[in-house]
Amino acid sequence: MIQKMAGHINNPLRKRNVIIPRYIAYGIILVIILGMSAHLIVFGTDWKRMSSINEVFETLFSFFPNLKFIPEIAGPLFETTLMAFWGTLLAVILSIPISYLAATTTTPSMLITFPLGRAFIVLSRSTHEIIFALIFVVALGLGPLPGILALACRSVGFMSKTTAEAIEACNQGAIEAIKSTGARKLVQFFFAVVPQVFPIFLGNAIFQFDINIRRAAILGMVGAGGIGLHFSEQMKAYNYDNAGACVFAVVILVILGEVISNRIRTKLIAG
Amino acid sequence: MVLLKISNLKKSFQGNEIALRDVSLTIENQEVIALLGLSGSGKSTLLRCINRLTEPDSGSIKLENLEITNLNKRELRKVRAKMGMIFQEFNLVNRLTVLENVLSGTLGVTSLWRAVTRAFPPNDIFRALELCERVGISSQVEKRADQLSGGQRQRVGIARALMQNPTLLLVDEPTSSLDPKIGREVMTLMCEVARERDIPLLFSVHDISLAKDFSQRIIGLKEGEKIFDKKTSSLDDKSLEQIYKIESGNSLLTSESVN
Amino acid sequence: MTNAINTNYQSFKFNQRIRRIIKFGIILGLITFGYWTIIFLDIPIKRMLDMFGPLATMLAERVFPPDLENASSWKVFISVIETVEMSILGAFYGTLITIPLAWCAAWNITPSREILYPLSRSIIVLCRSLPTLMLGLLLVSLFVFGPFAGILALAIGTIGFAGKLMAEQCEAIDMGPVDAISATGASPLKIFIYAVLPQVKSEWTGIIIYNWDARLRGSTILGFVGAGGIGLHLRHQISILEYHATLGIICIIVILVLFSETLSHFCRKWAR
Repeated sequence: MIQKMAGHINNPLRKRNVIIPRYIAYGIILVIILGMSAHLIVFGTDWKRMSSINEVFETLFSFFPNLKFIPEIAGPLFETTLMAFWGTLLAVILSIPISYLAATTTTPSMLITFPLGRAFIVLSRSTHEIIFALIFVVALGLGPLPGILALACRSVGFMSKTTAEAIEACNQGAIEAIKSTGARKLVQFFFAVVPQVFPIFLGNAIFQFDINIRRAAILGMVGAGGIGLHFSEQMKAYNYDNAGACVFAVVILVILGEVISNRIRTKLIAG
Repeated sequence: MVLLKISNLKKSFQGNEIALRDVSLTIENQEVIALLGLSGSGKSTLLRCINRLTEPDSGSIKLENLEITNLNKRELRKVRAKMGMIFQEFNLVNRLTVLENVLSGTLGVTSLWRAVTRAFPPNDIFRALELCERVGISSQVEKRADQLSGGQRQRVGIARALMQNPTLLLVDEPTSSLDPKIGREVMTLMCEVARERDIPLLFSVHDISLAKDFSQRIIGLKEGEKIFDKKTSSLDDKSLEQIYKIESGNSLLTSESVN
Repeated sequence: MTNAINTNYQSFKFNQRIRRIIKFGIILGLITFGYWTIIFLDIPIKRMLDMFGPLATMLAERVFPPDLENASSWKVFISVIETVEMSILGAFYGTLITIPLAWCAAWNITPSREILYPLSRSIIVLCRSLPTLMLGLLLVSLFVFGPFAGILALAIGTIGFAGKLMAEQCEAIDMGPVDAISATGASPLKIFIYAVLPQVKSEWTGIIIYNWDARLRGSTILGFVGAGGIGLHLRHQISILEYHATLGIICIIVILVLFSETLSHFCRKWAR
């Protein structure tokens, strides 16, 4: 019996059965990657118009931020932050009813309202904010308001999804206890569910605000407000040092936002 | 006056588990009644059917001559407000303070606006504070519910149920999550307040000694059927064996169940 | 009424009052801030509200229905292929660079705490702070118009996104096997391969799939600045005011992303 087992383990044929398919899979993946690289990089790229190494470095250095340009873009930078703030706030407000609908434990009708809530979430998370911005710019014209609406539409999905998950993870017993006092469903929700869900909700809101700063920075490139417009204008005019200043400013802003939001969120979890 | 009359209550869950087979009982005056039985005998189901947290399949439940089983949502809520329920796992809202948890007993009659803004009328706040004193948690009133010990949490649960000025107390295995000594303190408190307010208290339990020591009447359930309904003093060994006998013929009496 | 009740009541009322004042203050502050923002950003509320009316007619006439004929044309299909390939290549090459970078950026197992750790951490932070679209435009002007720049942009995005997650996974491992292997005198690379990699492998697979999903979203838009993919068609149709065709392209993009999301969801489940 033991000899049979030992023979089974050391059987070279058995080893091959396990390893060969794995190597074949790796091989296939490698071939696919090489094929795609050939398609896009070797043949799909216009190598004749590609900058030479010298040109690349020259252009790279020309991007060095022209710090004198920063005061001019201080306004747009602030505008970017404002857009992120209001976009997140709007998303936060809208996510409350949507998460109520999209949570299996609170949705009034599993057949109608639940799929509706989920559909909102999926659409919001699948559509890039630029697309929303384009839609709103076409509808409302240029300016930061389309940007705010675009950010709101994009963030609603994440906020609603995470809040719905938090609602579903709630302590059902507490909800039942409130129910047994004769309270109606909405009262149960506000008294038993909301206090449990609120800290997660707030943490996620701050997280989204941080991400939205990044998103807001590019919305200007389609005319929806913020520093993006200035960036693309400077690029078009070949003022690469000014464009570099825009990028530099955005990077600083984003890093700052991340540091601050992380601090606040750790404080939230602790307290 | 007949306070609670249950007739021919039936309930089965999916998978053909019959939880309650034709259970009937009547409660007429203030007394402490123990629902005794093994796990799965239908004790919790019976309690939860009374305030329709679980919907019975058929049968009638009358609270003060009002038929409960066919009430619509609104009327049901009004009736629920008259029945206070105390839970095995306490079921407090952990992030709220003790006082807010006690005040939540009034949510059956509070308007939505009041509930959202937590703007409770001063009378209710005073009543809640008095109840906190009565159950012995005055010093913890400002603390968050999850900072309390098990026994303290159950006291909050009792205060919350009393906040409703109930005509009936439904108690689901109140001591199963507590140490035996604390459990007895809590049981004593519950029986005292029930007596003070002249309201019946119906509690489910699987520990015989608790049933014998605290109740005036015992209702024994076995596999969804009521097989005993008499004064506690008349609970003899034969009836006990009936309640605790399992199908294979083995009795649990000889093991740890009688302590 | 006893003394205890009275004190409790006063204290409760006091706390409630403070909470109310704070909530009221926040709401008032937000409203004022909002009003100020509208003025500062020069948002023409009235004009925009007026636009909402004719918006419905405009949508019905000039946007709906989507031009599905154009959307299902051959050139759009080619660009969809290009978009997907770009996202895969960007994610792939990015992951190749990210793996050693994540190793260096994990405090507990980095081969050099003085140099490689801060360096790799900074690189990851920098890559995460550059918005993909800006990066795309930069790379197009640095190199050449086309998917080459897009792949680079996505690779850099991968470093920022997956790098952070992977490094965090490394920092959460059980150090037992690491200590055991290093006690044999193995080089840092061997320690990584034999003690760290087996532990993080499954989580990392999930992160790689998740990252690809995120890159795909970016790749659908990179074409807008000329870095390859279907975004180019989007920009083209908008610039010639062909809103029906624009909606068609948007539909294609949304379907593509929905598809990738379902795919990545199932792959992540299967990888567990």
